[in-house]
Amino acid sequence: MSAIASPLVSAAYQAVQQGPANGGKVAGGDKGGFAAMLEDAARSAVETMNNSEKTTMKAAAGEADLLEVVSSVNDAESTLRTVIAVRDKVVQSYQEILRMPI
Amino acid sequence: MSFNTAMETAVSGMRAQTKRLRVVAENLANSDTTSATPGGDPYRRKTISFRSIVDRETGIAKVKVDKIGRDDSAFQTVYQPGHPSADAEGYVLRPNVSRTVEIMDMQEAQRSYEANLTLLTGAKNMLQRTIDLLRS
Repeated sequence: MSAIASPLVSAAYQAVQQGPANGGKVAGGDKGGFAAMLEDAARSAVETMNNSEKTTMKAAAGEADLLEVVSSVNDAESTLRTVIAVRDKVVQSYQEILRMPI
Repeated sequence: MSFNTAMETAVSGMRAQTKRLRVVAENLANSDTTSATPGGDPYRRKTISFRSIVDRETGIAKVKVDKIGRDDSAFQTVYQPGHPSADAEGYVLRPNVSRTVEIMDMQEAQRSYEANLTLLTGAKNMLQRTIDLLRS
Protein backbone atom coordinates (compact mmCIF):
# COMPACT_ATOMS: atom_id res chain seq x y z
CA MET A 1 0.00 0.00 0.00
CA SER A 2 2.98 2.30 -0.43
CA ALA A 3 1.40 3.78 -3.56
CA ILE A 4 -1.05 5.75 -1.48
CA ALA A 5 0.06 9.32 -1.23
CA SER A 6 -2.93 11.04 0.31
CA PRO A 7 -2.55 11.38 4.09
CA LEU A 8 -6.30 11.06 4.46
CA VAL A 9 -6.40 7.75 2.61
CA SER A 10 -3.33 6.35 4.30
CA ALA A 11 -4.76 7.29 7.68
CA ALA A 12 -7.93 5.39 6.79
CA TYR A 13 -5.92 2.37 5.72
CA GLN A 14 -3.89 2.49 8.91
CA ALA A 15 -7.06 2.65 10.95
CA VAL A 16 -8.36 -0.45 9.17
CA GLN A 17 -5.09 -2.32 9.63
CA GLN A 18 -4.99 -1.49 13.33
CA GLY A 19 -8.52 -2.76 13.70
CA PRO A 20 -11.04 -1.36 16.15
CA ALA A 21 -8.34 -0.78 18.81
CA ASN A 22 -8.41 2.99 18.52
CA GLY A 23 -12.17 3.12 18.28
CA GLY A 24 -12.16 3.42 14.50
CA LYS A 25 -11.17 7.06 14.69
CA VAL A 26 -9.19 8.48 11.83
CA ALA A 27 -6.57 11.03 12.73
CA GLY A 28 -6.89 14.21 10.77
CA GLY A 29 -10.32 13.38 9.37
CA ASP A 30 -13.58 14.69 10.76
CA LYS A 31 -15.95 12.03 12.02
CA GLY A 32 -18.65 10.98 9.58
CA GLY A 33 -16.84 12.60 6.70
CA PHE A 34 -15.11 11.26 3.64
CA ALA A 35 -12.42 9.47 5.66
CA ALA A 36 -15.02 7.63 7.74
CA MET A 37 -16.85 6.52 4.61
CA LEU A 38 -13.60 5.30 3.10
CA GLU A 39 -12.76 3.45 6.27
CA ASP A 40 -16.15 1.78 6.35
CA ALA A 41 -15.80 0.68 2.75
CA ALA A 42 -12.30 -0.68 3.33
CA ARG A 43 -13.44 -2.56 6.42
CA SER A 44 -16.33 -4.21 4.65
CA ALA A 45 -14.07 -5.12 1.73
CA VAL A 46 -11.58 -6.77 4.07
CA GLU A 47 -14.43 -8.66 5.70
CA THR A 48 -15.72 -9.94 2.34
CA MET A 49 -12.27 -11.19 1.41
CA ASN A 50 -11.74 -12.86 4.78
CA ASN A 51 -15.09 -14.56 4.35
CA SER A 52 -14.12 -15.91 0.95
CA GLU A 53 -10.84 -17.20 2.33
CA LYS A 54 -12.67 -18.98 5.14
CA THR A 55 -15.05 -20.63 2.68
CA THR A 56 -12.14 -21.74 0.51
CA MET A 57 -10.43 -23.29 3.53
CA LYS A 58 -13.67 -25.07 4.42
CA ALA A 59 -13.89 -26.42 0.89
CA ALA A 60 -10.32 -27.70 1.12
CA ALA A 61 -11.36 -29.55 4.27
CA GLY A 62 -14.38 -30.93 2.40
CA GLU A 63 -17.02 -29.03 4.39
CA ALA A 64 -18.31 -26.41 1.96
CA ASP A 65 -19.87 -27.09 -1.41
CA LEU A 66 -18.49 -25.86 -4.70
CA LEU A 67 -21.28 -23.35 -5.38
CA GLU A 68 -20.65 -21.65 -2.05
CA VAL A 69 -16.94 -21.30 -2.80
CA VAL A 70 -17.53 -19.97 -6.31
CA SER A 71 -20.08 -17.39 -5.16
CA SER A 72 -17.96 -16.13 -2.25
CA VAL A 73 -14.77 -15.96 -4.30
CA ASN A 74 -16.72 -14.12 -6.99
CA ASP A 75 -17.95 -11.70 -4.36
CA ALA A 76 -14.44 -11.11 -3.07
CA GLU A 77 -13.11 -10.62 -6.58
CA SER A 78 -15.62 -7.90 -7.46
CA THR A 79 -15.03 -6.22 -4.11
CA LEU A 80 -11.29 -6.19 -4.69
CA ARG A 81 -11.77 -4.77 -8.17
CA THR A 82 -13.97 -2.02 -6.79
CA VAL A 83 -11.42 -1.19 -4.09
CA ILE A 84 -8.61 -1.06 -6.64
CA ALA A 85 -10.64 1.14 -8.99
CA VAL A 86 -11.53 3.56 -6.19
CA ARG A 87 -7.93 3.66 -4.96
CA ASP A 88 -6.64 4.39 -8.45
CA LYS A 89 -9.17 7.14 -8.82
CA VAL A 90 -8.24 8.69 -5.46
CA VAL A 91 -4.52 8.58 -6.29
CA GLN A 92 -5.24 10.05 -9.70
CA SER A 93 -7.24 12.94 -8.21
CA TYR A 94 -4.46 13.60 -5.71
CA GLN A 95 -1.90 13.77 -8.50
CA GLU A 96 -4.16 16.14 -10.42
CA ILE A 97 -4.14 18.42 -7.40
CA LEU A 98 -0.33 18.19 -7.14
CA ARG A 99 0.02 19.27 -10.75
CA MET A 100 -2.18 22.30 -10.22
CA PRO A 101 -0.33 25.52 -11.16
CA ILE A 102 -0.07 27.91 -8.24
CA MET B 1 -25.98 -4.22 -3.89
CA SER B 2 -28.60 -5.49 -6.31
CA PHE B 3 -25.99 -7.32 -8.39
CA ASN B 4 -25.18 -9.44 -5.38
CA THR B 5 -28.88 -10.07 -4.82
CA ALA B 6 -29.29 -11.35 -8.38
CA MET B 7 -26.22 -13.52 -8.00
CA GLU B 8 -27.41 -15.01 -4.70
CA THR B 9 -30.75 -15.87 -6.28
CA ALA B 10 -29.08 -17.49 -9.28
CA VAL B 11 -26.83 -19.53 -7.00
CA SER B 12 -29.88 -20.76 -5.06
CA GLY B 13 -31.41 -21.87 -8.38
CA MET B 14 -28.25 -23.74 -9.26
CA ARG B 15 -28.23 -25.43 -5.87
CA ALA B 16 -31.85 -26.52 -6.36
CA GLN B 17 -31.07 -27.98 -9.79
CA THR B 18 -28.14 -29.90 -8.30
CA LYS B 19 -30.55 -31.54 -5.85
CA ARG B 20 -32.89 -32.33 -8.74
CA LEU B 21 -30.02 -34.02 -10.55
CA ARG B 22 -29.37 -36.07 -7.43
CA VAL B 23 -32.96 -37.32 -7.41
CA VAL B 24 -32.71 -38.22 -11.11
CA ALA B 25 -29.51 -40.13 -10.37
CA GLU B 26 -31.23 -42.06 -7.57
CA ASN B 27 -34.13 -42.95 -9.83
CA LEU B 28 -31.90 -44.04 -12.70
CA ALA B 29 -29.61 -46.06 -10.47
CA ASN B 30 -32.58 -47.87 -8.97
CA SER B 31 -34.48 -48.42 -12.21
CA ASP B 32 -33.88 -52.18 -11.94
CA THR B 33 -34.29 -52.54 -8.20
CA THR B 34 -36.95 -55.13 -7.39
CA SER B 35 -38.28 -56.12 -4.00
CA ALA B 36 -36.06 -57.87 -1.49
CA THR B 37 -38.91 -60.25 -0.56
CA PRO B 38 -41.02 -62.35 -2.97
CA GLY B 39 -44.14 -60.46 -4.09
CA GLY B 40 -43.08 -57.21 -2.37
CA ASP B 41 -42.99 -53.67 -3.75
CA PRO B 42 -39.98 -52.61 -5.83
CA TYR B 43 -38.24 -49.20 -5.76
CA ARG B 44 -40.71 -46.34 -6.02
CA ARG B 45 -39.77 -43.36 -8.17
CA LYS B 46 -38.92 -40.15 -6.28
CA THR B 47 -40.14 -36.74 -7.36
CA ILE B 48 -38.88 -33.29 -6.46
CA SER B 49 -40.72 -29.99 -6.19
CA PHE B 50 -39.49 -26.45 -5.64
CA ARG B 51 -40.75 -23.53 -3.62
CA SER B 52 -40.05 -19.82 -3.68
CA ILE B 53 -38.82 -18.39 -0.37
CA VAL B 54 -37.59 -15.07 0.96
CA ASP B 55 -34.43 -15.12 3.05
CA ARG B 56 -35.37 -13.49 6.35
CA GLU B 57 -31.88 -12.13 7.07
CA THR B 58 -31.09 -10.57 3.72
CA GLY B 59 -34.56 -10.22 2.15
CA ILE B 60 -33.39 -12.00 -1.00
CA ALA B 61 -35.95 -14.11 -2.86
CA LYS B 62 -34.62 -17.59 -3.49
CA VAL B 63 -35.73 -21.00 -4.64
CA LYS B 64 -35.65 -23.96 -2.32
CA VAL B 65 -36.44 -27.65 -2.63
CA ASP B 66 -39.97 -27.97 -1.25
CA LYS B 67 -40.00 -31.71 -0.78
CA ILE B 68 -38.80 -34.95 -2.24
CA GLY B 69 -41.99 -36.95 -2.76
CA ARG B 70 -42.99 -40.32 -4.16
CA ASP B 71 -44.49 -41.12 -7.51
CA ASP B 72 -47.62 -43.18 -6.76
CA SER B 73 -48.17 -44.44 -10.30
CA ALA B 74 -48.54 -48.18 -10.89
CA PHE B 75 -45.58 -50.55 -11.13
CA GLN B 76 -44.89 -52.57 -14.24
CA THR B 77 -45.58 -56.27 -14.03
CA VAL B 78 -43.36 -58.80 -15.76
CA TYR B 79 -43.87 -62.57 -15.90
CA GLN B 80 -40.60 -64.07 -14.65
CA PRO B 81 -41.21 -67.21 -12.54
CA GLY B 82 -37.55 -67.83 -11.79
CA HIS B 83 -36.94 -64.38 -10.30
CA PRO B 84 -36.23 -64.21 -6.53
CA SER B 85 -38.78 -61.37 -6.17
CA ALA B 86 -41.55 -63.15 -8.08
CA ASP B 87 -44.89 -63.71 -6.32
CA ALA B 88 -46.79 -67.03 -6.17
CA GLU B 89 -48.04 -66.68 -9.79
CA GLY B 90 -44.58 -65.86 -11.11
CA TYR B 91 -45.08 -62.14 -11.66
CA VAL B 92 -42.37 -59.62 -10.71
CA LEU B 93 -43.17 -55.98 -9.94
CA ARG B 94 -40.71 -53.62 -11.54
CA PRO B 95 -40.04 -49.96 -10.51
CA ASN B 96 -42.25 -47.21 -12.00
CA VAL B 97 -39.13 -45.53 -13.36
CA SER B 98 -38.98 -44.70 -17.05
CA ARG B 99 -35.46 -44.05 -18.27
CA THR B 100 -36.70 -41.72 -21.01
CA VAL B 101 -38.54 -39.56 -18.49
CA GLU B 102 -35.50 -39.46 -16.20
CA ILE B 103 -33.16 -38.45 -19.03
CA MET B 104 -35.57 -35.68 -20.04
CA ASP B 105 -35.67 -34.53 -16.44
CA MET B 106 -31.89 -34.48 -16.37
CA GLN B 107 -31.81 -32.40 -19.55
CA GLU B 108 -34.27 -29.97 -17.99
CA ALA B 109 -32.13 -29.67 -14.86
CA GLN B 110 -29.08 -29.08 -17.04
CA ARG B 111 -30.81 -26.35 -19.08
CA SER B 112 -32.10 -24.64 -15.96
CA TYR B 113 -28.64 -24.74 -14.41
CA GLU B 114 -27.19 -23.23 -17.58
CA ALA B 115 -29.80 -20.47 -17.52
CA ASN B 116 -28.84 -19.55 -13.96
CA LEU B 117 -25.18 -19.70 -14.91
CA THR B 118 -25.81 -17.31 -17.80
CA LEU B 119 -27.52 -14.90 -15.45
CA LEU B 120 -24.55 -15.10 -13.11
CA THR B 121 -22.17 -14.31 -15.97
CA GLY B 122 -24.41 -11.45 -17.08
CA ALA B 123 -24.60 -9.92 -13.62
CA LYS B 124 -20.84 -10.22 -13.25
CA ASN B 125 -20.27 -8.50 -16.58
CA MET B 126 -22.64 -5.68 -15.70
CA LEU B 127 -20.87 -5.15 -12.38
CA GLN B 128 -17.50 -5.26 -14.10
CA ARG B 129 -18.50 -2.69 -16.72
CA THR B 130 -19.84 -0.41 -14.01
CA ILE B 131 -16.56 -0.57 -12.07
CA ASP B 132 -14.69 0.12 -15.31
CA LEU B 133 -16.47 3.47 -15.48
CA LEU B 134 -14.16 4.61 -12.67
CA ARG B 135 -11.07 3.82 -14.70
CA SER B 136 -11.55 5.93 -17.77
